[in-house]
Amino acid sequence: MNEAIRALQAAMERDGYVAEPAVATAVYLATEMRKPLLVEGEAGVGKTELAKVLARVLGTELIRLQCYEGLDANTALYEWNYQRQLLRLRIAEREPHDPAALEDLIFGREYLLERPLLRAITRRAGPPVLLVDEIDRADDGFEAFLLEVLSDFQVTVPELGTIAATHVPHVVLTSNRTREIGDALRRRCLYLYVEHPSFEKELRILRGKVPGLDERLARAITRFVQALRRRDLRKLPGVAETIDWAQALLRLRQDRLDAEVVGVTLGCLLKDEHDLRQTVDAALAELVAHASSPG
Amino acid sequence: MNAALGLVGQLARFAGAMREHGIRVGLGDEIDAATALTLVDLLDRNEVQRGLRIAFKVPRDAWATFDRLFNAHWDGTAADDVPVPPPAYPRDHRGAQWRWDGARVRLVLPESERPEGDEPGYSSEAVLRRKSFDQLSAGEIAAMERLLVRLAFRLAARRSRRLVPTRGRGVVDLRRSFRHALRTEGELFRLARRARALEAPRVVLLYDTSGSMDPYTRFHLAFAFALRRVIRRLEIFAFNTALTRVTQAIAPAKIPQSLERLAEGVPDWSGGTRIGACLAAFVADCGALVGGDTTVVIVSDGLDLGDTELLGRAMRALHERARMIVWLNPLMGDPRYEPTQAGMRVALPHVDHFGPAHDLASLERLLRFLD
Repeated sequence: MNEAIRALQAAMERDGYVAEPAVATAVYLATEMRKPLLVEGEAGVGKTELAKVLARVLGTELIRLQCYEGLDANTALYEWNYQRQLLRLRIAEREPHDPAALEDLIFGREYLLERPLLRAITRRAGPPVLLVDEIDRADDGFEAFLLEVLSDFQVTVPELGTIAATHVPHVVLTSNRTREIGDALRRRCLYLYVEHPSFEKELRILRGKVPGLDERLARAITRFVQALRRRDLRKLPGVAETIDWAQALLRLRQDRLDAEVVGVTLGCLLKDEHDLRQTVDAALAELVAHASSPG
Repeated sequence: MNAALGLVGQLARFAGAMREHGIRVGLGDEIDAATALTLVDLLDRNEVQRGLRIAFKVPRDAWATFDRLFNAHWDGTAADDVPVPPPAYPRDHRGAQWRWDGARVRLVLPESERPEGDEPGYSSEAVLRRKSFDQLSAGEIAAMERLLVRLAFRLAARRSRRLVPTRGRGVVDLRRSFRHALRTEGELFRLARRARALEAPRVVLLYDTSGSMDPYTRFHLAFAFALRRVIRRLEIFAFNTALTRVTQAIAPAKIPQSLERLAEGVPDWSGGTRIGACLAAFVADCGALVGGDTTVVIVSDGLDLGDTELLGRAMRALHERARMIVWLNPLMGDPRYEPTQAGMRVALPHVDHFGPAHDLASLERLLRFLD
């Protein structure tokens, strides 16, 4: 394995992120090739966390743009500070002024509110990590706009002119695949698909994230969740859910799994009514027995 | 690996093999992959594999194929050893001709293309019954159009979350208000407003023209004609054993000519069905027609002679892209009908509205669903 990738993997692990070789390789290639990294995978496999860890490992700022339906360029890029502009005009009324100079003044950088995308390309102290979270929730129009920003790394503000990037940020895009991402954007990025973790990986994550958890219980929890994921459920529990559940069991001072305590805490793992109803009684007893068996 | 070709040559060959096996990679991906190869440890086979998978942007469902191809290339066996899946549907109908013999239209295939065996569903002499076309009366189409105008409005009635300038009510748009105010020395005389945009509907109609659908042909053609008149952004495809785009053929102003063009253009009318293969072909070739604002209407009885797994995959892909999937099944007109055919069972989880389609009343039900 490439030394740099191994080092990156170790650095991420020190920061509490258990990165498989594929994840470390993708992050390494994305930072070296200066390409955005598109991360897809089920909910709760740590896609957003990846960007946060990357920012910490690189020792830089994380700038996050949360996408939603109806997100537009104003919210993502820049907005003028109208209140301040109006105030400045009111003040100007009381003194003699040159209209052209005044206009230049109130449409200066000082009155510009930088939104995540603009902030990411104009940050002075080195390139930040730009996290475009849940890009699948934004509409096609925004995707096209984002593509433009990500290919040119410059932004045109009509009143100000073109602002070029001082640094090319490290871009991480995440998607839950509620909508298929357009081919053009996909081609622009490197692509990483994150799967639910293996037993060993999940156990390591659990040890790292929930200190004080009994080793035997940690194994039982992991085995239970892994078995649960093999069932036919609408929403499979992610690692985030496993951690929540472990913490709940820790608070309840449980040192082993039994059907009763699992029954009352199952809401930490399953967040769909249909799934909860599916996993009762017989199914639950079987899962608990499986989880508690040594090996 | 073949050393004589060099790394870049190898990569190009590998990319070609991926394309041959249905993984879509472009030149840009090849360049990315070449760059990635300069960054990874070339002696670590797993790392090369991971790096290429990332740089070629291989989607999750193509990993198995990718890994197989990778192994074949790395071990020096030619890619030809990896079986190429048969094309999803016969793409080429060159040489086939429609003949009108006074009573019916026949499809005449060139000798070499004549399919073997005499499976009833795939008969080479597909017959297009002209009679049912002739009975399409202007009055019926008019009645349907009145209904569909309401239907189209329902399809369009969704408001986008995007805000656009409006003269009516809406939230204050400070940016534009302020621009206006500059003309009046900063005095805000009039507030500009924005409201949620009304989306123009996009509809893709996929119509099954296999033999089992024949009794309903008349009604569904009327449906297609009426829909064409009221929805501007409409694409119509006919499918049976192959997929044909017929949007241009259906011109409401010229019904007789349209019918001629349909008869000429759609191969194997009244033949068998391979719904899965046709829908997969639609997703692969025309997937760009389906976006978040698109309603996909599939009119079919779900009697599939082909691969149901293919159908399931295609339906899932469609469902991920489309705003809504409506499946109209004329068999549902029969109260005893239950969707038990294998094809229907795989498709149903990906369908938002499943309803009958054999008369006007059934379309009214669709209208109520959209409310």
